[in-house]
Amino acid sequence: MVGKRVKCTGCSLLCDDIIIMSDGLYIDEVIGACLKGKERFDQVASKNRILSPFLRKNGDLVKVQLKGALNKCIEIIKNSSKPLLYGFSTVSCQAQLKGIELAKKINGFIDSNSIICQGKVLNTSSQTGMTLTTISEVINKADLLIFWGANVAESIPRLLNKALFSRGKFRMTGREIRTLIIIDPVKTASFNVMGVRDIALKIEPGRDLDLIRVLKEHCCAPSSDPPKAIAGIDGDDLRRLLIQLTNAENSVIFIGQGIVNSTSDSNVMQELLELVQMINRKQQKGRMSIMMLGGHYNMAGFDQVALSLVGKNHSLQFVNNQLAETSETIISKIDNEDFDCSVIVGTDPISHLPWKLSRKLISKPLILIDNKKSVTYSVADIILPSAITGIECEGLAYRLDNVPIELERIVQPPNNIISDEEILSMLIEGLKTI
Amino acid sequence: MEMIVNTVRMVDYDQLREHSFGDDNSLKENLAFGMLNPEDYKKLNLTPSLNLKLANDYGQVIIKVKQEKDIPLGTILMPVSIWANQITGIINKQLIFKNLKVNAEATRDTVLDIKDLLNLIKK
Repeated sequence: MVGKRVKCTGCSLLCDDIIIMSDGLYIDEVIGACLKGKERFDQVASKNRILSPFLRKNGDLVKVQLKGALNKCIEIIKNSSKPLLYGFSTVSCQAQLKGIELAKKINGFIDSNSIICQGKVLNTSSQTGMTLTTISEVINKADLLIFWGANVAESIPRLLNKALFSRGKFRMTGREIRTLIIIDPVKTASFNVMGVRDIALKIEPGRDLDLIRVLKEHCCAPSSDPPKAIAGIDGDDLRRLLIQLTNAENSVIFIGQGIVNSTSDSNVMQELLELVQMINRKQQKGRMSIMMLGGHYNMAGFDQVALSLVGKNHSLQFVNNQLAETSETIISKIDNEDFDCSVIVGTDPISHLPWKLSRKLISKPLILIDNKKSVTYSVADIILPSAITGIECEGLAYRLDNVPIELERIVQPPNNIISDEEILSMLIEGLKTI
Repeated sequence: MEMIVNTVRMVDYDQLREHSFGDDNSLKENLAFGMLNPEDYKKLNLTPSLNLKLANDYGQVIIKVKQEKDIPLGTILMPVSIWANQITGIINKQLIFKNLKVNAEATRDTVLDIKDLLNLIKK
C-alpha cells in the first residue's frame, strides 16, 4: 500500500495536501482531510452511490443499460424546444465545457448553481470592479481577515487553518499578527477561534447594508464621528472595526452566503464592493481584497469557462446555436415554466429550490447525471451515473480564489462508470447521429 | 409568534452527507428541525413532545426543535434541505432563503417524512 498526495474535492478550497492510502482499487485511509473531505472520499463506496443507469417506468425506477438510457435522453432532448440545463458546480471544467456545447447544440438554456450563490458578486462586479486575492497571498501577506456572513468553520473547514493560522512569508508570526473579524447575526462555530484582539460583530439580521453605508461614510476619515450604534453593533465595536479597516496593511473580506443572500436587494453587494474600492483609494499603506466563498468545489469553474467561452458567466440562452440576450435566470425560467425538459448535472435542485419551483421542475421530463442519490434522484425520469471527479476521473477545477487546479484519478470507478464529460459528449454525439 | 428563519449549512446536519450515507429516517432526524433560543422555546410554550409549525406566504412546514443558547432571540436556524424549502420563495427572480419572516407556533402535528413531502410537492 502506497501513500499518495492528492487533492480533495470536498469543498471549493480544493486542499492539495491530503494523503490517501490506496491500491488503485479502494481507498483504505484518508489522512489530513476535514470532515467534509473525508465524506467526499467515503462517497466512493457509500451505500447511496448510483451505480447503474435507470429509467422511470410507471413511477418506479428500472435498471437499464447505458445505451438505452442515453437513447431515451436523446429522444427527450430531440423532442424538446426549450431544454434547460442546470448544475455543473461539482463537475470538471471539461464537463462544463461540454454542457455549454450541448446547450448550444440544442438551443437550450444553461445555468450553474453560482447564480444563486457567489455569481451574484461577480455580476455586481461588472459595474463596480472587484479586487480579488489568492489563498497564497492571504497566507503570506494578510493581517486582517473579515468573514462576513460566512460560517467558514463549517462550510469550508480548513480555510481558517490556511488563512488564519499559517505562517506566511511576510507574516511569520502567523495567527498572532492577524486580526479576525466575524460579522454574522448568529454566534456560529467560527466564533470559537476568536482571540482577545479579534472582533465578533453580531449584526441584526438583514441589516448589512446599514453597516456598509456607515463604514463608507466613516472609513479612512480620521475626523469623522461614527454613530453610537448601528445594526445591533455598539459604538465601541464599530470604532474598533473602523480602526482595523483604516490601519490594516493587507485585508481580505471573505463573502459568505449570509451577506450575498441577506436580502433580495442587490445594493448590498454593490455597496460592499464600493466600500472596498473606496478603502483601496483612500488607504495609503494597504490594500483590501475580496474572496468569494462558493461552496461547491468547481462553482468558480463554470463562471470561468462560460466567461472565457461566451463572455457571460451565467444564464446562457442559445437560439439558432448562438448566444442570445436574455434577462432570464434559472429561477425565472422554472417559475414561468419556460422549459419543456431539464438536464440536471451534479446537483440536487429539488432539495435546493423552493417547493413551488421543485413542483414545476418535476412536472416536465427530468434527466439527472450524478454519482449519488438525492431528492432529485427520487423524482428523475432518467438517471445516468457518473464517476466522481478528482477520485475516479481527472479534470480541471477552479479553487475558490479562481486558481485552476488539476484533479487526478485515484481509483477506478465501479461498474465502468464514465465521467460527466464523457456522458455529455455521448449525448452530443448521439444528437448528431439521430 | 413572528420569527425569522435563516437556512444554513452545518457540518453535523448536512443534506449531502445524509443523502450519501443515511436513510429516510436519518434524513428526517437530521434535517427536519430548527434551532432556537431557549427563551423563544418558552415563549412558544414548546415541550419535548410538541413540534413547531412555521408558516409564511410561501408555504408551511412542521419541524422538530432544538434549543441553542447562542441563537439570537426571534431567530430560527434550519439546515438547508427540502424541509426548509417549504417556506423559501422568490422575489425579483432571486431566491429568498435568509431572513424569512414566518409565523411560528407549537403543534401536535407530526413532521412529514421525505416521501410524504415529495408526494405533497407532486400534487
